[in-house]
Amino acid sequence: YRDLHTFELQAPTRLIEWACGNRVCVAGYGQSDGNEILQLIPPPTLLTKETQGLCPERDFKVECGGFSERPVYSLKYVPDTSLLVTSGPPDSSLQVWQVSAEDSDVIKCVSTLATENGTGQPWAKIATISARAPWVLHGSRLDRVQITEVESRKNVYTAASRGSEELSGLAFLDCNTLLLCCAIGQLCLADIRQPQSLVEAMSMPSAPCSEQWCMGTRHGAQGLEPSSQPVVRLSSRGLLTLTDLRKTSEFLALAKARVPSPGSGAEFLCVSWAPALEGYLAVSGFDGTVHVYDTHSWDSSGREAEPIFVHKGHAFGGAGGSGDLPLVTVHTWHLQKPRTLLSAASDGSLHVWDWVQPCGKC
Amino acid sequence: MPEIKVTPLGAGQDVGRSCILVSIAGKNVMLDCGMHMGYNDDRRFPDFSYITQNGRLTDFLDCVIISHFHLDHCGALPYFSEMVGYDGPIYMTHPTKAICPILLEDYRKITVDKKGETNFFTSQMIKDCMKKVVAVHLHQTVQVDEELEIKAYYAGHVLGAAMFQIKVGCESVVYTGDYNMTPDRHLGAAWIDKCRPDLLISESTYATTIRDSKRCRERDFLKKVHETVERGGKVLIPVFALGRAQELCILLETFWERMNLKAPIYFSTGLTEKANHYYKLFITWTNQKIRKTFVQRNMFEFKHIKAFDRAFADNPGPMVVFATPGMLHAGQSLQIFRKWAGNEKNMVIMPGYCVQGTVGHKILSGQRKLEMEGRQILEVKMQVEYMSFSAHADAKGIMQLIRQAEPRNVLLVHGEAKKMEFLKQKIEQEFHVSCFMPANGETSTILTNPCIPVDISLGLLKRETAIGPLPDAKKPKLMHGTLLMKDNSFRLVSPEQALKELGLAEHQLRFTCRVHIQDPRKEHETVLRVYNHLKGILKDYSVQHLPDGSITVESILIQATAHSEDQGTKVLLVSWTWQDEELGSYLTSLLKKGLPQST
Repeated sequence: YRDLHTFELQAPTRLIEWACGNRVCVAGYGQSDGNEILQLIPPPTLLTKETQGLCPERDFKVECGGFSERPVYSLKYVPDTSLLVTSGPPDSSLQVWQVSAEDSDVIKCVSTLATENGTGQPWAKIATISARAPWVLHGSRLDRVQITEVESRKNVYTAASRGSEELSGLAFLDCNTLLLCCAIGQLCLADIRQPQSLVEAMSMPSAPCSEQWCMGTRHGAQGLEPSSQPVVRLSSRGLLTLTDLRKTSEFLALAKARVPSPGSGAEFLCVSWAPALEGYLAVSGFDGTVHVYDTHSWDSSGREAEPIFVHKGHAFGGAGGSGDLPLVTVHTWHLQKPRTLLSAASDGSLHVWDWVQPCGKC
Repeated sequence: MPEIKVTPLGAGQDVGRSCILVSIAGKNVMLDCGMHMGYNDDRRFPDFSYITQNGRLTDFLDCVIISHFHLDHCGALPYFSEMVGYDGPIYMTHPTKAICPILLEDYRKITVDKKGETNFFTSQMIKDCMKKVVAVHLHQTVQVDEELEIKAYYAGHVLGAAMFQIKVGCESVVYTGDYNMTPDRHLGAAWIDKCRPDLLISESTYATTIRDSKRCRERDFLKKVHETVERGGKVLIPVFALGRAQELCILLETFWERMNLKAPIYFSTGLTEKANHYYKLFITWTNQKIRKTFVQRNMFEFKHIKAFDRAFADNPGPMVVFATPGMLHAGQSLQIFRKWAGNEKNMVIMPGYCVQGTVGHKILSGQRKLEMEGRQILEVKMQVEYMSFSAHADAKGIMQLIRQAEPRNVLLVHGEAKKMEFLKQKIEQEFHVSCFMPANGETSTILTNPCIPVDISLGLLKRETAIGPLPDAKKPKLMHGTLLMKDNSFRLVSPEQALKELGLAEHQLRFTCRVHIQDPRKEHETVLRVYNHLKGILKDYSVQHLPDGSITVESILIQATAHSEDQGTKVLLVSWTWQDEELGSYLTSLLKKGLPQST
């Protein structure tokens, strides 16, 4: 490590989202109500380029917070607005919140976007964009994907689909193209300018069934065709596939992460590309560790890949003797500092760490 | 309504000084008397004119309580007691009483001698002020006067820090001062029992922080020290005599042992003398680990830490030295600093806040050229690091304390209102108590529901339990009695007893109602008609026709007379006592309906 900071949240979070001004947002996912949504200001050490050792300001500050009656499983800020959207059980509706950091430090729920026949459905996955207007893309199943304008609550687009597979993730590739990932593994592209055409799974080499999949897409990288960025998928048994969206019939690369078996389920599977470090990705959700991989050396053989770095902090952390080992619920990369990550675990810990490239490569 | 009034004193909205005025059941208490460390003029003192414009403070205030020795909690005490004028008692714990004067004197020296200020308290004032101090033990109930009592609880944070419960009758307030809910290496965590005060006053400055774990801070501290020592440099750690220094010693000792390091660690002798002196006072205030390092005569049973000698400062090679005073403003730590400052391999680690004007403060602000006595310029090439181990309660800690004490109301001081809205809601939602956040100078009024004990006479109790349904634990039973309030005692007695004691006679109330009836016959015939009518209807009641021509229904009297102007109308006079109100009203309305034709 070059640096490691550990913090303890009052309640564990399964999301870490960046907001403008380098803010970070976390939220509770407990069953009872009184879950808190917290927008945090990271300590200055995280904001500066060089790491300072004993800087006096080493703490996160809660800038504002809100109370949610339901567990918060997903949260996305709506760009260019002071709103954010959350989703979580028991249904697929969304809650819209207003962050007004000047007047008061309370994040208030301003409206609910209900989905028809939404009760009993799994929780909705969400993505936001503000290209033409503040939109939120959401859905819990393939046949329930829609884009809603956040402020007017008008439905702008509804995906047409034959299947109703449960979704594990969705993203805007650009302001017209959507990428959907099903829990059983299929990736689907949709063009919102053509709402009538059916959303279909892209043909891909078949991957073993009975696994759950999630995906990671690349943000940033301005100027490049979004669909040229490879999409990574992670399975609950540790398989990692890299796919070029222009040519999905074969994998760009296939590898296996070293994960304990039997797996702990797919609840917290998380895979993400490093925004400032080409070809690096991080994987978590199997145990109390976060793995960082360099995909440059990967090929299509599917053999086990050696992680460049493993963050084990959460496994050693917290309250000793409480039985279960903590499980990493989510991780995210720092947007500017290339090797800094934030990770959270089921015991409420929040770590910020900066890893060092082994073997002197830089 | 009985109420508790709380006013945080001080000018402006600034955080940085604690001084709170509480009025409870007619008693006035001042909590802490801090100095604002950021100001150089009179703004650093709280505005005492709030308390009373022209009266004497001693007459107005019943006592002053100081929570711990940090200057932002006690720095203005000598100014308050000697320059503004207060002769009443000042309460604080034993360690606070021992340490306060030292810090105050240090502070005075810096402000007056170094900075040349004039409107400041003198050494003698500090001494005179401390003479008014009454030291208290933890969990000891101290009777300030007949009605006011206080009790100190362990607060963690620093040595001697306490939370105070102030109680008058059955109303109470708990003031936390600065506290910490997670134990330290040398201090325990704050603790309070379920005392259920009407109000809990808590600092909230750090409520919005999520702290970096102690292990990370310690690891970084050790890393810095190690790096410096590895390259042959010297590390200076200016400390105050006791408390944090102990903790850092244990930390270094363990690290040295584990890493098998050979560089010497020294603790300056001035400290050991003072430390031995305070040892007996403080031993109950620290935790088990520290107690083990204290042995009867030689308090430092460390393998790697030795006593320092001035000459050692010139020894070549790496070393680590703990020296006083903590802000590098005088004495041994400053001497060592001057010797080592010019070498960039060396390092100084400041373990706490430094007052403006001290060398410590200057180098932390980035100054690298310092003017010493005799106009000598000292160039500081050594590395300067700042490390704060001092702990305050965060939001989680505040919630924990509220859970322990179970107050009926919570008041937060030292936070900007709009930045505390979230915490306020959190507290209100979780504990269903009201949360107040007054600004400096603003008064919050908290309504209380005091219990008033009342004695009940045995006779009354026996009588009331005998009538009506049997006493039932599940059903409240209404009881009638008379409350006598005399000389601060309350008694509940029967009305007869009350009348007797007060020498009053019971008044009898009698109601009379006139009912007009159309009846041209003679009066006695009308009466007969009425009698027969009532007899027929009121079968369960005793209806009598008396020889004098009147009718009685139970104890209600009915008489008939002819109307003065109209012979055809008879006037029935219905008369009853207050006890028969119900029956009386019923009779009246019955008669008003008129008599049946047949009789």
